Amino acid sequence: MKQHPHAWRYLSTTFLLAVLGIAILVQVIRIQNSPEVASVIDQGNYVWKDYFPPRGEIYDRHGSLLAGNKTVYEIGLDLTVNPDMPTVMLALQMSGLDINEVNYRISLAPANAEYIILDDFVTANKAKTLMTLQEAAYGDPTGKNLDAIYFKAHYARSYPENDLASNVLGFVTEDNHGYLGIEEKYDNILAGIPVRILVPADPRRATEYPTIPPGQTIILTIDREIQAAIEKILDQALESTKASSGTIVVMDPRTGEILGMSSTPRLNLNDYQSISTVFPGETPFNRAISQAYEPGSVAKILTMAGALDSGAVRPDTVFFDEGYILVGGFRIVNWNGGAWGNQDMTGCLANSLNVCLAWVSTKMESESFYSYMQRFGLGHATGIDLAQETSGRLKIPGDSDWGPVELGTNAYGQGVSVTPIQMVVAASALANDGKMVYPHVLYAQIQDGKQSNTRTQIIGNPISSSTAHTISEMLANALETESSAALLPGYRIAGKTGTAQIPLSGGGYDERDINASFIGWGPVDDPRFIVYIWLEKPQSNRAASVVAAPIFKQVVEKLVVLMDVPPDAVRLQMIGR
Amino acid sequence: MNNVTQIVQKVRQAPWRVQRQWIGLFLLALVMVAMVASLYLNVTVGATLAGRETISLQATITTNQRVNADSETLLAGLTSVVAMQQRAETIGFLPASPEDITYVAVPGFMAHSAVDMSTPGTVAPAVPIILPEYTESWFDYFINQQASSASGGGQP
Repeated sequence: MKQHPHAWRYLSTTFLLAVLGIAILVQVIRIQNSPEVASVIDQGNYVWKDYFPPRGEIYDRHGSLLAGNKTVYEIGLDLTVNPDMPTVMLALQMSGLDINEVNYRISLAPANAEYIILDDFVTANKAKTLMTLQEAAYGDPTGKNLDAIYFKAHYARSYPENDLASNVLGFVTEDNHGYLGIEEKYDNILAGIPVRILVPADPRRATEYPTIPPGQTIILTIDREIQAAIEKILDQALESTKASSGTIVVMDPRTGEILGMSSTPRLNLNDYQSISTVFPGETPFNRAISQAYEPGSVAKILTMAGALDSGAVRPDTVFFDEGYILVGGFRIVNWNGGAWGNQDMTGCLANSLNVCLAWVSTKMESESFYSYMQRFGLGHATGIDLAQETSGRLKIPGDSDWGPVELGTNAYGQGVSVTPIQMVVAASALANDGKMVYPHVLYAQIQDGKQSNTRTQIIGNPISSSTAHTISEMLANALETESSAALLPGYRIAGKTGTAQIPLSGGGYDERDINASFIGWGPVDDPRFIVYIWLEKPQSNRAASVVAAPIFKQVVEKLVVLMDVPPDAVRLQMIGR
Repeated sequence: MNNVTQIVQKVRQAPWRVQRQWIGLFLLALVMVAMVASLYLNVTVGATLAGRETISLQATITTNQRVNADSETLLAGLTSVVAMQQRAETIGFLPASPEDITYVAVPGFMAHSAVDMSTPGTVAPAVPIILPEYTESWFDYFINQQASSASGGGQP
């Protein structure tokens, strides 16, 4: 066959185009399999990544942040690049890191370790100093750079108010677990749910990350201004009375919202590691809920309320006080050992007569008396939403350690133990038309931008509304009769002191120290607050009317300003308009 | 019909034309393969860049969230009770006592109650941000199309 004269042209063109096409294909394949691309796309590899949602924030009832989050750093060292250790250690020291801690961590690392964590929860300031040094040393020709240091940012709990409301809040440890107070009680909803997802290292396979909901934000019933005020008053009270500890609780008796709760000692929550120093031994973290004690005469308001409600006595019932009464074969006397003669029930409360109240309880008889005490919640935890609440102890007939004399002593608050919050809840029935409210610290939860408020719960009606009004009037009259130091001009207040003996572990009572308490609420006709004061072992005076009542007044002085409660006359005038 | 037969005969009768046809077909196939390969490379590069940008944006979001948290905590510290009381005292304010306050009846005034932190409109989206069109395969696409057409969707 004859060759076409121009066949070579076609063949060479074909050859060139074929080479070009094949070269393109080879280049495409080469690019896709080049080390450069492989280093970027890390084809086929997947890595597990843990995402810890930021812990939910805690606000007070007016939106002030009580517990938030801040950035801290984990600082690690890549050993595969042979870091210059003297340079690294010098930089860590210059950044303010704890070299002893770093050396300890290095000593724990296995011999073949490729990466070690030098320190964790390093503050942003220290980490930024180290980053600046790393940047300055980048590309050092002598090899003394800090390129092997890695920074991993994460959240840590932060408390901008330091020790404010610390006994209520609790704290969060480095393992992101809440301990004590609100942080422990609501740990589940605050912490959020950590998510572990398989993330492709290949960016071509990058996909939408799942939405990781943060921990729920919560709002407390606490008013930080009230909280700060009662903490300051309590600190001053401890200093002036030389009491060993103190507790103040402020609650709204209509809703059960805790407006303030202070207890000593307090802990700077940003330095929670010092808890064992601040709370040595078995010191309760929050005495208001965790320390039961014999309250003494403040419990007389419950005895009298029960007696009035059961019909055992009336306000004008007269009791002749001979100075003692025998109950269960034991002689009960008054606080001053004196005989007070004829007293109506208001007089019994005003003069805080043990003999009278023991007579009242015996008149009620034990079944009725203990029935009322149980209806007031004594012997049972209130269920307040704070961790580590204790229930106190109410011995009742049938218990192995109950004796007939208890009927008399329990009537004036000895031989029975309660926590301050139990007394506040029980007394809320007296202040709130006979309705006892569930005490709570959680005002609301925020989820997906929606706020769910905690509803008011009535947990019992131990007495009738009329009895509640009667006992409130009696207590208000009693305070006015004795010109109590608890009274605030312009405001009608109901309340009762309590000076209680302290039982000894080996039996009997301490002859020297006492517990001084005061419970009160106001304004009597429309209570907005109920306040409980407890000073343990005050040294300046042994009478609650001297040490606890003035503190109550100081608290109420602050409350009426902070809660916008006008004097009774002004308020009634406004209502009348 | 005769014209067509003549043309076919002429082409068949020229061997270099047959040769050119084969060369043309080969080159066409080669060009197509190269085009597909280039297109694939282009798409891959685009996906890689988008993926890296996604990862980068994700990191930016995380950083911004941390900065927000830091700022909020810092602000709370600056406006803490202790700090505000010190500032108030510095500029000459004193705590008010009940005697200092004059109450005035204001019709319609509502006493301030607790905070409401509801934020309508910021509810987290329940549906994925990336539409399925960007992630589904051709097979998924056709299946979904079939499913949607089978389910009707006509207006009543």
